[in-house]
Amino acid sequence: MAEHNRLRHGRLRRGVLAAGALPLVVMLAACGSNANSGGSANTKGPLVIGASISLTGDLADSGKAVKAGYELWAKTINAKGGLLGRQVQIKVVDDASSTTQVVTNYQNLINKDKADLVFGPFSSLLTIPSSQVAKRYGYAFLEPAGGGPAVFAQKLSNLFFVQPAPVVKSGEVFADWVLSLPAAARPKTAAYAELDDPFATPIAENIRARFEAAGISTVYKQVYPAETQDFSPIIAKVVAARPDVLVSGTQNEDAYNQVKSLVQLKYNPKFVFMSNGANSPAEFPTKVGAANTAGIVSPGDWFPGSTATGSAEFTANYLKAYGGTEDTIDNTSAEAYAVGQVLEAVAKQTGKVDNATIISTLHHGSWPTLLGNLSWDANGAPNGSFSLIQWQGGKLVPIYPSTVAKATAVYPKPNWGS
Amino acid sequence: MHALIQGVILGILTGGVYALMASGQTLIFGIMKVINLAQGAMVILAAYLAYQLFTSLGLDPFLAIPVTTVLMFGLGVAVQVLFLRPLRREDSKELSLLVTFAVALLIEGAISVTWKTTYRSINTGYANGSWTLFGYQITVVRFWAFALSLVALGLLYLLLYRTRFGRAVRATVQNPQAAQLLGVEPRRVSALGFGLGAATAAAAGSVYGLLYPFNSGSHYDLISRLLSIVVLGGLGSVGGAVIAAVIVSTSSAIVASTISPTWSEMTFFVILILVLLVRPQGLFGTVGRGAV
Repeated sequence: MAEHNRLRHGRLRRGVLAAGALPLVVMLAACGSNANSGGSANTKGPLVIGASISLTGDLADSGKAVKAGYELWAKTINAKGGLLGRQVQIKVVDDASSTTQVVTNYQNLINKDKADLVFGPFSSLLTIPSSQVAKRYGYAFLEPAGGGPAVFAQKLSNLFFVQPAPVVKSGEVFADWVLSLPAAARPKTAAYAELDDPFATPIAENIRARFEAAGISTVYKQVYPAETQDFSPIIAKVVAARPDVLVSGTQNEDAYNQVKSLVQLKYNPKFVFMSNGANSPAEFPTKVGAANTAGIVSPGDWFPGSTATGSAEFTANYLKAYGGTEDTIDNTSAEAYAVGQVLEAVAKQTGKVDNATIISTLHHGSWPTLLGNLSWDANGAPNGSFSLIQWQGGKLVPIYPSTVAKATAVYPKPNWGS
Repeated sequence: MHALIQGVILGILTGGVYALMASGQTLIFGIMKVINLAQGAMVILAAYLAYQLFTSLGLDPFLAIPVTTVLMFGLGVAVQVLFLRPLRREDSKELSLLVTFAVALLIEGAISVTWKTTYRSINTGYANGSWTLFGYQITVVRFWAFALSLVALGLLYLLLYRTRFGRAVRATVQNPQAAQLLGVEPRRVSALGFGLGAATAAAAGSVYGLLYPFNSGSHYDLISRLLSIVVLGGLGSVGGAVIAAVIVSTSSAIVASTISPTWSEMTFFVILILVLLVRPQGLFGTVGRGAV
């Protein structure tokens, strides 16, 4: 879910780079058509898993969280005797958040370092060119952070996005929840404030389609550009429209700004949903004030205290290895950890960890991870849905669906500052 | 209509904050003919300093201003002495654009290393407070920021018009050669003037941090606004910058409210182009020399 939060500056520049990188991938890949489809034949030594991660550049903060997740999983599995008796070795190389470097890195990991397997980088931007390299060499591409529509539009059979659902569908769970409420409690009117961004607008628009079909009328809708800094004019219009529910297609700082403006203009809708920005346990309260978080809902996959497979072990080991509190664990690390769990599950079921087996196995069945049970369609898009999490008493708790809920949903939303 | 008036009220108050930032920028241009592309980065740096003082020592961002002002003044003087003074070539004015841009990148890099790139925000108890007046909301921070801008600009006025140093600055703005002949030391005036410009970023930074979440990259959006405000007001004119700041933030609030926020960011530039077509020297600029 943290994907593309930090892409604000230089997005265009990298977009151009990405476009330039694709022909290069095809060209380079064509040179190496003697693809090593099964990874190393050595089954005695350590199992080497290569990953290119952004340790420097714009995506470095999230990149480091991915690295922490991969390494934590390796450490956990190695402590239990390794994967099928082989010690797991994660070989991390830095791509400096560059779409060209990421391609070079995966070429090297596969050809030069002879990695047995590869895991994905951070962001859709870097996942797209690198998954093409993996495809060319017959490598499975389990990736924790490339969930944009363009990733699945590649129609790659070797790619698996290790999160519950594609990013643009992360708001479905909010629509499901609202429409499951008794008719009298449901909102009658809705306002939509959406960031002009491929990861934010579609989330809010999907909810709007569901709401309008269910008779919740749209009283205000505004798409705003990424440069918008002053939200008071937008929120003043929201206030004037007096909606029951505010659906915010947000990323990060726009979510903080919207909340600040709502508090300042003293308007408290009965429901507030934010697609991103509000689902960070450590960041959000420090930006808007802990007392202003109450009742806000967001989509989530992993959250502190989750009872999904391996979550307790992940949390304990994470705190032991990296310190902090469970509220400061970046869910990007949990998503990266889940990549390892999927591999572990394949090994357990088939007794093998070669690329061909991974690819053929994962297209069927449901796979337990700390993000819940995952399954994929033919293009690697996950079939599940996110959970709905709500701020209650200064903490994020899952409220829907009932299979994951740990608290009763609070609605209408408590007033700001309460 | 209510939403429009509410937008305008907040736009005017926000204008005060921009006036504060732009006054430093235009002062630096007036004295040295240097367009300081690092002004935005200095505001963001000051916001981080205020953030740090608030989170580590619990110092209120408004009370932190004297501390950060001294630090930013020192930084400004250092930048002028270390990076701008050595430019002695004929094209030093053009080169100073590159140098100040490099300083901006340097500050951005130092911020990223020190505080990482995640968004920060200064959350005091009153950060999201507002007073209701005839059904409209007057936000506490913007109100005080506006008041602070008036005070800071007043102090700046007194400094420029009631002190020997101010007279030396104004003399340098109007005619550097004549000022030098009359005993003004241009190197000293330039260094102190640059320091003064940077010092205005301190107050602006505290306020910015209270109003908006910020990260190391926030200065890019800021500098484009500041440049258009400074050019609109007339390069070198502090009074012009204040009026331009209010025009710009109010008009963008009106456009965001009545048309769309997508167009509001462009309003700046549309107004800028229109004014420059009619008055190439800006609203309050004078032809041929600076004016304070």
